[in-house]
Amino acid sequence: MSFARRFFSRPTALIGFVLFAAIAIAALLAPLLGRGPFAIVGMPLLPPGTPGVFAGSDVLGRDMAVGLAYGARVSLLVGIASTAGAVGIGVLLGAVAGYYGGLVDDLLMRVTEFFQIIPSFVLLMVLVAFLQPSLGSAVIGIALVTWPQAARVVRGEFLSLRSREFVAAARILGESDARIIFTQILPNALPPIVVVGSMMVGSAILTESALSFLGLGDPNLLSWGSMIGGARSAMWVAWWTTVLPGLAIVVTVLALNFIGDGLNDALNPRRRQ
Amino acid sequence: MTQGASLVSIRDLTVALPPGADRALAVEKVSLEIGGNEIVCIVGESGSGKSIAAHAVMGLLPRGVQVTGGEILFDGADLLKLQPEAMRRRRGRDIAMIFQDPMAALNPVVAIGAQIVEQIHAHRAMPQTAALALAAGLLGQMGLRDARGLLKAYPHQLSGGQRQRAMIAMALSLSPRLLIADEPTTALDVTTQAQILQLIKTIQAERGMSVLFITHDFGVVADMADRVAVMRHGRVLESGTAAKVLGEPAHAYTRALIAAVPKGDNILPPLPEAPPLMAVTGLTKRFRRGGFFARPATTVVDAVSLTLKRGETLGIVGESGSGKSTLARCVIRLLDPEEGEILFDGADLARLGPKGLRPVRRRIQMVFQDPFSSLNPRHTVADIVTAGPRAHGEDARLARARAIDMLRLVGLNPEAMDRLPHQFSGGQRQRIGLARALMLKPDVLIADEPVSALDATVQAQVLKLLDDVRRQMNLAMLFITHDMRVAAEVCHRVMVMRHGQVVETGPTRDIFTAPGSDYTRSLLAAIPGRARLEPADPAQNIRQTME
Repeated sequence: MSFARRFFSRPTALIGFVLFAAIAIAALLAPLLGRGPFAIVGMPLLPPGTPGVFAGSDVLGRDMAVGLAYGARVSLLVGIASTAGAVGIGVLLGAVAGYYGGLVDDLLMRVTEFFQIIPSFVLLMVLVAFLQPSLGSAVIGIALVTWPQAARVVRGEFLSLRSREFVAAARILGESDARIIFTQILPNALPPIVVVGSMMVGSAILTESALSFLGLGDPNLLSWGSMIGGARSAMWVAWWTTVLPGLAIVVTVLALNFIGDGLNDALNPRRRQ
Repeated sequence: MTQGASLVSIRDLTVALPPGADRALAVEKVSLEIGGNEIVCIVGESGSGKSIAAHAVMGLLPRGVQVTGGEILFDGADLLKLQPEAMRRRRGRDIAMIFQDPMAALNPVVAIGAQIVEQIHAHRAMPQTAALALAAGLLGQMGLRDARGLLKAYPHQLSGGQRQRAMIAMALSLSPRLLIADEPTTALDVTTQAQILQLIKTIQAERGMSVLFITHDFGVVADMADRVAVMRHGRVLESGTAAKVLGEPAHAYTRALIAAVPKGDNILPPLPEAPPLMAVTGLTKRFRRGGFFARPATTVVDAVSLTLKRGETLGIVGESGSGKSTLARCVIRLLDPEEGEILFDGADLARLGPKGLRPVRRRIQMVFQDPFSSLNPRHTVADIVTAGPRAHGEDARLARARAIDMLRLVGLNPEAMDRLPHQFSGGQRQRIGLARALMLKPDVLIADEPVSALDATVQAQVLKLLDDVRRQMNLAMLFITHDMRVAAEVCHRVMVMRHGQVVETGPTRDIFTAPGSDYTRSLLAAIPGRARLEPADPAQNIRQTME
């Protein structure tokens, strides 16, 4: 069975993929809505279904639907970019630690643990405040606090793969360490990295929302977290102002987790019944 | 052999594989009689369906594999018609089974005694103390010393042979009438194998029970069987008494299988005196365990010396734990030896750092044991075979052209170039691994158990290929094996190792005809099937022609 068929044979994976694709399309097409996220389009707190503003308006009279679409851009961008950074650091350090083992491994793992024992959200807030809140500092900050997770997975894979005979064969053939790490071992370690990566995108989106909720997001961009943060005073009179962006976060993270589960099953043929 | 009435009769047994498998039927219309008080061997290569047939008798087929026809009469009752609960009651009590890997078959977190008692209690009410006494008695009968103490031991604390004895004790705890043994000695050392085979024969005779013995090794068949069934592709090709099948095999495939058992009737004479290409002196390797709080190191290779001439094959023979593989990995510098020197072409390889080693690497190459783990599953054959030349800066197109010739040399179709390893059989994979090693035109080839994962007929082909390549390229070969029979096929000289030390080294024919140590003698005596399959006087068969 092909990879795609294995993946889509799981209903949750299919649902996750469809939801994620819909959100990604909304994010890409947001500029076509014709108005910016900060444009005031009418009275504040119009309920959903009002002609012209089908998702309602927020406390300042801005179109919720436009805000949600632009928020998706921020969420997906931060989620994917910070995960790419975290996986990049994690692959590099995890691969070196797992491949060389011994003292190098001990040293790198102590560094990893150092990052893991500090409450990550506190560290993140300090980092973002220090770098000035912006899209870039959110991406860098989230990447810096989440890479240990990726590094541990990669190290584990490398530890088990480096003892395989094809690695010994490559050493005997005279391949350099870098070449062995990147062309021999890494391709075989990819499946779990992809799975962890897809889950990390979800948790990065959650983290970014929390940052924005606390006002540490990019002040020039509207994100789901800042929408919730800005509307929390109106929570009891206009439920949609907080529930809709909250729902967007839940759906996106859920979709990414479904995709992660599906990838896990599709990439690990041994697990499938 | 007094043969009682038939205990088990398998009639037209047909077992279907799940859709998508490489063939539709695992077992096709197999009929087999197992009399009371006899050992019946099913012999066949991997994929012959021998194991599936045995598991069907036990009612333990893997998920998705189903019996679609035939009957299995046990004492007149059809086992296939029994309800699951009725079958469960028979399992263990009437029919017991032992497996290839006792470590996997035993529960690692339950003491041996408790596992045997559990088996007894599943079928028979008995006070705990009585059950434990029964278990201890059984372990004693299996030739295990300190049976009482072993009751409290966990599987990992026992050796492979002890574990298999404990498995057999457990299988016999309810005095079954049929014991199914599925390759019970394949994972064991040759001396342990001989002991376990003897044990199974003895208890079979004492108890007058029946044994269905599954094996791929005609040597084992010769030692064990009263009657033999030869299986291939799910069918029984021929069956009959051991004397008939081994003595006058009717089927060409049976003859091929018997011929493929290395018999040591073609021993190479030693090469004439010549300066050595490689000389290892006093090589020592210790392993330290634990990082910071290091425990005392164990010496795995202890002051080993050897020489290797151009065009010569030196066999390194030993049981597991003898240090033979570690020695090979030190010589090729996958491991760093603590002491000793490896003189090769004027340089001491033991002293070279990573930079100095790289140019030497291409001249010493290696073929591995496991045809599945030695090829990167994500690289095409072309990637694998050209990896060496590319690492040494050879033009990729040129390397590819040479790779095509090399695949032909090792007996593969060049169409294989763009396929992935999983599309090949074990023997073909070993050929790919050999092609990879030969692409660098090495002077020395280290072969670490290159045929021990292969079926007998494939084993013979790969051994012949290795010998042909050695001649054509004038290679010096270090051939590591646990199997004396295999060593006799390809080696000019043999070095016997035990506990990291060299027991003796000498020309192959001397080692086989006039071994200089008790240990070598015990290794030779343990070769299965020696009495029945070997020519009367091996010295007569030593190759007369010098090369």
